[in-house]
Amino acid sequence: MDLSLVLNTFTLLTLTTLSTPIIFPLLSDSLKNTPSTITNTVKASFLISLIPMTIHIHSGSESLITLWEWKFIMTFKIPISLKLDFYSLTFLPIALFVSWSILQFATWYMASDPHATKFFTYLLLFLIAMLTLIVANNLFVLFIGWEGVGVMSFLLISWWHGRAEANTAALQAILYNRVGDVGLILCLAWLAYTTNTWEIQQLNSPHQTPTLPLLGLILAATGKSAQFGLHPWLPAAMEGPTPVSALLHSSTMVVAGIFLLIRTHPLLSSNQTAMTTCLCLGALSTLFAATCALTQNDIKKIIAFSTSSQLGLMMVTIGLNLPQLAFLHISTHAFFKAMLFLCSGSIIHNLNGEQDIRKMGGLQKMLPTTTSCLTIGNLALMGTPFLAGFYSKDQIIECLNTSYLNSWALILTLLATSFTAVYTIRMTVLVQTGFTRIPPLTPMNENNPAITSPITRLALGSIMAGLLITSYITPTKTPPMTMPLSIKITALVITILGIIIALELSKLTQTLILTKQTPLYNFSTSLGYFNLLTHRLTTKTLLTGGQNIASHLVDLSWYKLLGPEGLANLQLTTTKTITTLHSGLIKAYLSSFALSLLIILMSAH
Amino acid sequence: FTASLLLGTTLTISSNHWIMAWAGLEINTLAILPMISKSHHPRAIEAATKYFLTQATASALLLFSSMINAWQTGQWDITQLTNPTSCLILTSAIAMKLGLVPFHFWFPEVLQGTPLTTGLLLSTLMKFPPITLLYMTSPSLNPTVLTSMAILSTALGGWMGLNQTQIRKILAFSSISHLGWMTIIISYNPKLTLLNFYLYALMTTATFLTLHSTKASKLSTLMTTWTKAPTLNAALLLTLLSLAGLPPLTGFLPKWLIIQELTKQDMA
Repeated sequence: MDLSLVLNTFTLLTLTTLSTPIIFPLLSDSLKNTPSTITNTVKASFLISLIPMTIHIHSGSESLITLWEWKFIMTFKIPISLKLDFYSLTFLPIALFVSWSILQFATWYMASDPHATKFFTYLLLFLIAMLTLIVANNLFVLFIGWEGVGVMSFLLISWWHGRAEANTAALQAILYNRVGDVGLILCLAWLAYTTNTWEIQQLNSPHQTPTLPLLGLILAATGKSAQFGLHPWLPAAMEGPTPVSALLHSSTMVVAGIFLLIRTHPLLSSNQTAMTTCLCLGALSTLFAATCALTQNDIKKIIAFSTSSQLGLMMVTIGLNLPQLAFLHISTHAFFKAMLFLCSGSIIHNLNGEQDIRKMGGLQKMLPTTTSCLTIGNLALMGTPFLAGFYSKDQIIECLNTSYLNSWALILTLLATSFTAVYTIRMTVLVQTGFTRIPPLTPMNENNPAITSPITRLALGSIMAGLLITSYITPTKTPPMTMPLSIKITALVITILGIIIALELSKLTQTLILTKQTPLYNFSTSLGYFNLLTHRLTTKTLLTGGQNIASHLVDLSWYKLLGPEGLANLQLTTTKTITTLHSGLIKAYLSSFALSLLIILMSAH
Repeated sequence: FTASLLLGTTLTISSNHWIMAWAGLEINTLAILPMISKSHHPRAIEAATKYFLTQATASALLLFSSMINAWQTGQWDITQLTNPTSCLILTSAIAMKLGLVPFHFWFPEVLQGTPLTTGLLLSTLMKFPPITLLYMTSPSLNPTVLTSMAILSTALGGWMGLNQTQIRKILAFSSISHLGWMTIIISYNPKLTLLNFYLYALMTTATFLTLHSTKASKLSTLMTTWTKAPTLNAALLLTLLSLAGLPPLTGFLPKWLIIQELTKQDMA
């Protein structure tokens, strides 16, 4: 049995299975979709995708499938090809597993929605675009997937389009992503110009790559993965339904930027400036997001900020020249983040739309499955030893500590790690423990298997995934094995410190004292003033600049002052002066005649 | 009266002797005076008076210049005007007759006071003898004086015409600027002067006759002519544009040739 043939066939089968719910309704009127058919399709797809992954783990075989070559410029071919290597083959089953769980959850969450099938179709389209991005070998195909996920994100965030905040949030998402796309296009152009190819397997530079295209790539990742500078769209994207937040903005779309950097890693690794940029940007993002998450009161926003923070951590890993570790963190993060979102979705629906954690409490007794999975997810997020997050997060921090790089980035990341612990514990305490602050007549019920089975499945994944993935892959770079004890347990110590501080601080909330508005508190609550400063400032400058150019410069100056009207005005002054000279008095005329005659005669002599 | 006009013109054109030229000019002046003041309107009388005074002065100056020349050189031949003083005086006399700056002040008011057809005669036929005299004496005229008068005429004609509402005044100023164009080239290529004059006469005749048939004398009257005679209005548009000197129309031709000639003479 030719293993590579089986590998190729099953991967292609995965992708085609996913596209059947899109194609079949177009073929015949009787083959309509329902939410459950779409969920089952994704489940089948997941099961099929396990086979190529197993083959890869077993024999280390990778493959490159070229489907078609787009020859419209003879000297520059764009082969539409799929690269099935470790990254894509491992991420396919993970993405499909998480999507399956989310879709199953969504059958309960969106049950009361009149357009539920359209919602599921959108999610499926998004998934297809995401997978295109993952398996793409050609940066052009990747860009197609990139744009696809952007558009679907827009459509899904504004699902409840009657709500103004949802529309603005969707616009924000599109605009910030677009700014990032400029960077990607810059890099594509540079690549087409210098290396005459957009293939990923041909991307290697023995000498240093110039910094500009790499900065373009980093800009693209900043836009897509919400690093500091292009980050406001991610918390705003929580306006979409919870399955959307779970799928797009926790596990799949936001990692597209990081995935791009992983794919183009050979280009980045030789350029020290790009590496340092990644490092510092990532450190800044992770600390900023963690700071903002400390004072948030909306449960989805806390989880959104924690996503942002983890993305910063992934960026830091890229900056440390460890793409495989970043990928590991992507995979493990997908599990527990999706689960956290699903748990929060269950809580929100059960509390009849309440998202404020100050109005939840004591849910441990009322929603046991959900809250235990919430706890597991939070522990995994914090990096509790031997849960999924530990394998990736702890390793990242170890490598950070033992590297000879930027110590400022190190300090920021450690601080962010402790903040992670703080806000996670805060969320857990306020949601699950303590006495209840919910309205009395809330009928909550989590007996539906559509809720419990996805969440428990993902919980299982959160626990096992780290172990499974690290056991079966061989790292390409040797992880640091020996380090002093203090460095080894730094992550753990900081996390525990954070927990203690959070528990202490939460005791303060038992008393009824109003929180004082210190500057730090204001900074954290208003998301670092970033939204307030940039949103109005940049748009207003751009629009007024445009208006100035259009109306003032063109209309008023060119046309009125300098152009036609200006000329006319010039003539006007002269005309008026001369008209007054022509008085109509013959005596004046005759005397002027005589005068002129005299002048002529005089001048000639 | 028209017959006397024609007589006077012919006399001046075909003369070789200064006295004949002067006589012809006088006949012209006297013949057109009653035509100007036909309507017995105070404005018409005023126009006639102004016209008479200026033209008389001009004729007198003409006679003076020819007499000085005769005294100095002993001959009355028009083409042999050698005395510089007499040349200058002749230039100013003809300028006064034509209506070149700075001797132009009479022209707008006179034209305003006359009926349209007489105005036409004033602008075209009355210009003809002085232009002929200019043509005949062109080698001996002072270019500087002519150029400065011409430039001033062109500019002033344009500027003054902007601020008018009476059509006849506008036409007067247009004729002043056209005269400027004619004068500027006379010392280099007199044939172009004549060409310019003929074309100008043609265009002005067309304009005047059109305006006469629609009886429009003010700009506000002109606005409503489209209802009465639409095709004529459109034709008037084209004629006016031609007067202005826009390229595809005939009026552009003399302007272009004059400029070409001037650049050849390094006057630009």
